[in-house]
Amino acid sequence: MIKSQKEKIQRVLAGLFSIGAFLALWQWAVVSTTLGQLMPGPITVITSFIQAFSVPIGTCTIQQHVGWSLSRVMIAYLVAAVVGIGLGVLMGWNPKIEAIFKPLYDIIRPIPPIAWIPLSIVWFGLGEMTKYFLIFLSAFSNITLNAYEGAKSVDPVLMGASRMLGANRTQTLLTVVLPASMPFIFAGLQVAISTSWATVVAAEMVRSTEGVGWVIVSAQDTNDMNQTLVGILAIGIVGFILATIMRGVETRLCKWNKSE
Amino acid sequence: MESNPKVRVNHLTKKFGDLLVLDDISFDIPEGELLCVVGPTGCGKTTFLNSLTKLYDITSGEILVNNEPVNLKKQNLAYIFQENSTMPWLNVEQNVSFGLDIKKVPEKEKKERVEEFLDIVGLTPFRKYYPSQLSSSMLQRVAIARAFATKPELLLMDEPYGQLDIELRFKLEDELVKLWQKTKTTVFFITHNIEEAVYLGQKIMILTNKPTKVKKVLDNPLPRPRDITSPDFIDLRNQVTDLIKWW
Ligand SMILES: Nc1ncnc2c1ncn2[C@@H]1O[C@H](COP(=O)(O)OP(=O)(O)OP(=O)(O)O)[C@@H](O)[C@H]1O
Ligand SMILES: [Mg+2]
Repeated sequence: MIKSQKEKIQRVLAGLFSIGAFLALWQWAVVSTTLGQLMPGPITVITSFIQAFSVPIGTCTIQQHVGWSLSRVMIAYLVAAVVGIGLGVLMGWNPKIEAIFKPLYDIIRPIPPIAWIPLSIVWFGLGEMTKYFLIFLSAFSNITLNAYEGAKSVDPVLMGASRMLGANRTQTLLTVVLPASMPFIFAGLQVAISTSWATVVAAEMVRSTEGVGWVIVSAQDTNDMNQTLVGILAIGIVGFILATIMRGVETRLCKWNKSE
Repeated sequence: MESNPKVRVNHLTKKFGDLLVLDDISFDIPEGELLCVVGPTGCGKTTFLNSLTKLYDITSGEILVNNEPVNLKKQNLAYIFQENSTMPWLNVEQNVSFGLDIKKVPEKEKKERVEEFLDIVGLTPFRKYYPSQLSSSMLQRVAIARAFATKPELLLMDEPYGQLDIELRFKLEDELVKLWQKTKTTVFFITHNIEEAVYLGQKIMILTNKPTKVKKVLDNPLPRPRDITSPDFIDLRNQVTDLIKWW
């Protein structure tokens, strides 16, 4: 699908309009209703948000908090991507590997990452490792599932074709199964980046001294609505940027998959 | 029998359970021959190719290539399927180079061969296109270029043009003849289109209904390029048609 420049601009404008309308409604409600006694309006929040770039919240500025959270996400997400793509593709490709790992995976998959918090604290303590572990779990399950479905759905004709050209099993795996699964894998990576970002917030709310999750809990402790909303704003903006980047990468790498 | 055939089929029998499909078949294909095989639907043509390429186990008998049991990694075979088998994530030139990558052909030679075969099938202007952007005849040409680029010693084609319209089929048939003459590859071409068999084949092998035997192998000495309206052509075509009738 080739979108015209005009269509693109229209879409952006429509998005900006709805965001603007939402902010206006919020501002109006805060000024004209009792909501104003419960929470600050958007102008206050955005001003504090901008200030937070130079004035620290706790020990870090907002971009440092985001940096902490992002680094936790990136480490755990990368490990989850490697393990998840590897396990998923191998399970989808090889019935023996599937028979061994799939049942275990199917039991672990439906457990939400948050449910692992008590256990992971016992295993890994309250440090970074627990956070990595929780984020890993949240990303891993989506990535694995999608990679698995992708490898399952590879057209057998293509595998036959590569075999006829003399490919051995490893070559078929790397040159047919893996690339053929890419659109599925990317769909999984896309969902996983959002769930990991959501999970880091939860993990940091358990115990941390920095990160966007900490911004939220510490605001809760001091009943600071403004800081809560600054944290939420940061989480929303970063989540949006992450999803956009992933979509861009996918469009580039899987452009063959888009029918014209 | 030849002393050094490209392919030797010795008392080949293939059963699926109790269903006897190939019944004690023996024949040779000499090096460099273009053999067309025609037979009734379901007589076991695809089964034969799948047995040759070891997708199926043989019930009894043997198939030899270069007097040796088939080994896909050692012998350079190529199989062109009836369905599209191009890799959708590779563009045209990457697809043509796919077999060469697998076989680890040196970079320089790979480039030359890709150029050569892109040119032969007329896809040079489309080299950067992805399969989703091509028509089915172009896809089949990609598969053909990919197969020929590996310089196969034996090319197996299973009704490769079955789904194409007449005009494109004629074009690709001519392309195949050109490539065959140029490369001296041994070609095993399955079709159920008798005209196609007579147009292409140096020899025409006619199979019976199941349980399948070789009914007859006809020589086809008609000069090329062949004219499908010439009396000799029509005569041979009728001969094949009569042989294939099972009633
Ligand atoms: N994997 C299989 N298991 C059981 N029976 C099979 C299998 N493959 C083929 N057959 C049977 O063997 C016979 C020959 O099938 P085959 O596909 O080889 O015929 P064909 O000559 O290629 O037919 P067509 O002209 O339709 O392509 C058919 O009766 C088919 O039902
Ligand atoms: Mg068939």
